[in-house]
Amino acid sequence: MKNKVIKALLFGGICVKNDPVVIKGTKEGISIILDDSLEFDDLQKALYEKLKNSRNFFSGGNVRIQAKNRNLSNEEYEKLQKLFTDFGMNLQEASSPKTMIFPKPNKSRVLLLKKTIRSGQKIAYNGSVVILGDANPGSEIIAAGDILVMGTLRGMAHAGADGDSSAVVTAFRLKPTQLRIAGVIARPPEEREDGPLFPEIARLKNNVIVIEPL
Amino acid sequence: MGEVIVITSGKGGVGKTTTTANLGTGFALYKQKRVVMLDADIGLRNLDVVMGLENRIVYDLVDAANGICRTKQALIKDKRFENLYLLPAAQTKDKTAVSPDQMKKICEELKEDFDYVLIDCPAGIEQGFKNAIAGADRAIIVTTPEVSAVRDADRIVGLLEAAGFEEPKLIINRLRPDMIKRGDMMDVDDMIDVLAIDLLGVVPEDEKIVISTNKGEPAVADETSKAGQAYRNIVRRLEGEDVPLITEEKTEAGFLEKLRQFFGLKAHTK
Repeated sequence: MKNKVIKALLFGGICVKNDPVVIKGTKEGISIILDDSLEFDDLQKALYEKLKNSRNFFSGGNVRIQAKNRNLSNEEYEKLQKLFTDFGMNLQEASSPKTMIFPKPNKSRVLLLKKTIRSGQKIAYNGSVVILGDANPGSEIIAAGDILVMGTLRGMAHAGADGDSSAVVTAFRLKPTQLRIAGVIARPPEEREDGPLFPEIARLKNNVIVIEPL
Repeated sequence: MGEVIVITSGKGGVGKTTTTANLGTGFALYKQKRVVMLDADIGLRNLDVVMGLENRIVYDLVDAANGICRTKQALIKDKRFENLYLLPAAQTKDKTAVSPDQMKKICEELKEDFDYVLIDCPAGIEQGFKNAIAGADRAIIVTTPEVSAVRDADRIVGLLEAAGFEEPKLIINRLRPDMIKRGDMMDVDDMIDVLAIDLLGVVPEDEKIVISTNKGEPAVADETSKAGQAYRNIVRRLEGEDVPLITEEKTEAGFLEKLRQFFGLKAHTK
């Protein structure tokens, strides 16, 4: 479980925020993640700068591009190919111009929020959600994937909202108003006032939501 | 065919939600009526918290209004009292999420099944207020003995009259007889004088209300609570019984107080 989240954190593209081009080493070679929001020309420039600054560090390496939601045209693809060749790198052939490294795209997408989610606020995301803060009563977090609250979860959380029953809800302090995983709804027992002081994970087992220490 | 009553005030924080919770519980508990409490405060819902039913919400008023679920699916059965139901507001939407026409439709539907539909109105006089009164047959105005609350209540009386409500009724909340005695608080008569509407009851300030609100258990069910007693009396009056007003207690105490002072005795409360 832990591994899964960490993986998603690394490759979900959340670290790309300030950097249009992120270069990562993977088992298969070098993976280059391209930002969605930039124009292709700017992206190409940024990539050129980056490769130039790294001198010949990547020379001879195998490269894969991860274009996220961008659809690269054949022309754009060839431009990148030429760029890599100039720096002595081999662009790996991909079946489609848009290389997807992970088979389940929405599960690997992660939304990272560094704030307290307050009453009346609703976070809905087609992927997993990580909150660096608390989720207060009256707030709603709805994710197609997993939910991880690095703080206290006091509001409502719905993981696997598209029907993924393998989705989990994890929190440093799990005190939700209500928990939902896929199509199952659960509320904490009335007498559970404070709850334990350690992280917990909620998941579906035999169509029942169970909570266990993490 | 039941009756739809809206509980409103204009000003916030005077006790609309507390009053709704206590009257609803009172009708169900002491009069065995089928009651649904409808929280019209979309975006700032509280009634579910006061009733301790927050964690049971799946569908809400907005879902019911927009046909995402049937109205009955959105109803939450109270965990303690038979015949008591809650239709919660949505928290992540705002007042524009439903229209007065949709509210009217829901009220008509609920009236078929319930003896009382109590609507907890949001503060203010904008869309939320208009939604809340749209489907109501009668109105109860809650105020506190403060100039600002009475001023807002007066504004509400005017708006209700313009909307065709005949004879809205008044509940004065959080009255402190000791302060009135000292002349530090508006008298009940002063307020009636200004508002010129029928008084349904006076609810004394009671710290048990704070406790019961935090616990999610309405004070009306607590036999030892003074505010609870006042709410029980209001329920009986709404049911047509003739119950003397608690204000008499105040004048009586005043009289005894004077006697004691006359004889130089120390005042003590029982």
